Amino acid sequence: MTLRRLLLLAGTLLILFLGMYSWNQRTRFLDDLAAKLGLEITGAVLTPIRSAQDTAESMWDRYFDLVSVREENEALKQKVAELEARLLANGEDLAELKRLRALVQLPVDQTWRPLGARVLSGRMGPNAVLDSITISRGYSTGGRPGTPLVTHLGLVGRVLKASAHSSIVLLLTDPSSRIAVFSQETRAPGILVGMGTGQKLEVNFVQRDAKVKPGEILITSGLDGKYPKGIPVAKVLKVAPSDYTQFMAIKADPLVDLQHLEEVLLLEPTGAPRPLDLGEAPKEFIGPPAPKSATP
Amino acid sequence: MSKFSSTAWWLCFMAGAIILQAAVPGLDVLTVGLIILLQERDYKNMLWLLPLFILLQEGMGTRPFGAVIVWYAAVIVLFKMGRWLFEVENFIFVFLLSACLGAAYYAVAWLMAPLQNLPLDVQGTLDRSLIQAIFVPFAWRLLVATRHWNPHDQEN
Repeated sequence: MTLRRLLLLAGTLLILFLGMYSWNQRTRFLDDLAAKLGLEITGAVLTPIRSAQDTAESMWDRYFDLVSVREENEALKQKVAELEARLLANGEDLAELKRLRALVQLPVDQTWRPLGARVLSGRMGPNAVLDSITISRGYSTGGRPGTPLVTHLGLVGRVLKASAHSSIVLLLTDPSSRIAVFSQETRAPGILVGMGTGQKLEVNFVQRDAKVKPGEILITSGLDGKYPKGIPVAKVLKVAPSDYTQFMAIKADPLVDLQHLEEVLLLEPTGAPRPLDLGEAPKEFIGPPAPKSATP
Repeated sequence: MSKFSSTAWWLCFMAGAIILQAAVPGLDVLTVGLIILLQERDYKNMLWLLPLFILLQEGMGTRPFGAVIVWYAAVIVLFKMGRWLFEVENFIFVFLLSACLGAAYYAVAWLMAPLQNLPLDVQGTLDRSLIQAIFVPFAWRLLVATRHWNPHDQEN
């Protein structure tokens, strides 16, 4: 093959590739096909492997549990006593919270339904450049793109792409992740930005007069429409005025250990409208009789 | 290798590759399969395996569709260039090819990042390309051994 023919072939292939690439950018046909087929096969291979691994691990753990059961029992008894004491101490606060909730009739958000999912793997293959995990639920089992993910500790991320029974989740530590948050105590709004695996998160656009303190918990504000309001996301580590912008420079740490996730909860939108009714109108105030001068 | 055992070998290889890729982030095990297909000039199997490799990698990845095609095109071009100079069954050839593939791995990531509007993690990509370069020759040696292994030969 002559050099001229080689160049011609390379040029034709390049044009074909760019044509396919821009056509796919418009239609997303190949992305959908790859997600439906490639991701589905990956999930189908990994799900039984993960189940077998879990079974083997649980058998191993059970053996060790038996060996160290006495020791653990002692520790647990001590912990129960400690927790009972703490429960007693917090009982009054809990009762107060219940009373306050009943008082303001806080609407319980029924627009999200939790669904359990197993983590199948972390990022896979040369094409996985974003900070992500693969889970065992797809668009036919509650894992549609955009669905938020949480654990009992806090927010994990949201579904990026899905096949029928598996999906890929974008973690909140990825540099392309943006989450609208509030600080829990001072209610200062900001945007939480991921900085990559193992890096601290950054909170942008927090006003300089905001009284955010280190140790404060950041919760989702729900203003971005992607996440339900009130999910804990991160803990503030460092607060200082920014040298470059008119906002505060805040560093935070995710509450969830994203490197060792095993099970997660998907918050599937139920489609139910968010209850806006805050309860009945307040009852007519019955006080002492009005003075005669005030009556018409 | 009969047609049935060859198909079974490739299916086992793909399942093993997915499991290994789940364990090592960023690693492409299927590249080794592509090198074996090129060495054996098995274009009939390549016709269905290469699109499947591409769909698998694109499906389990997070980049928009296209980067894996460039990556596998680089593998094929580098292999064809190496074929002019070396004997393709030679370990040294595969060793040199894998070194070039390590560089190609980084080059593809660098090329596709601005095109797909994604940030390039220089340190992470360098680490992954190094792992890829180290992995290929040893995996190739192991896989070629299993492909040429015949129980009837052992009995005789």
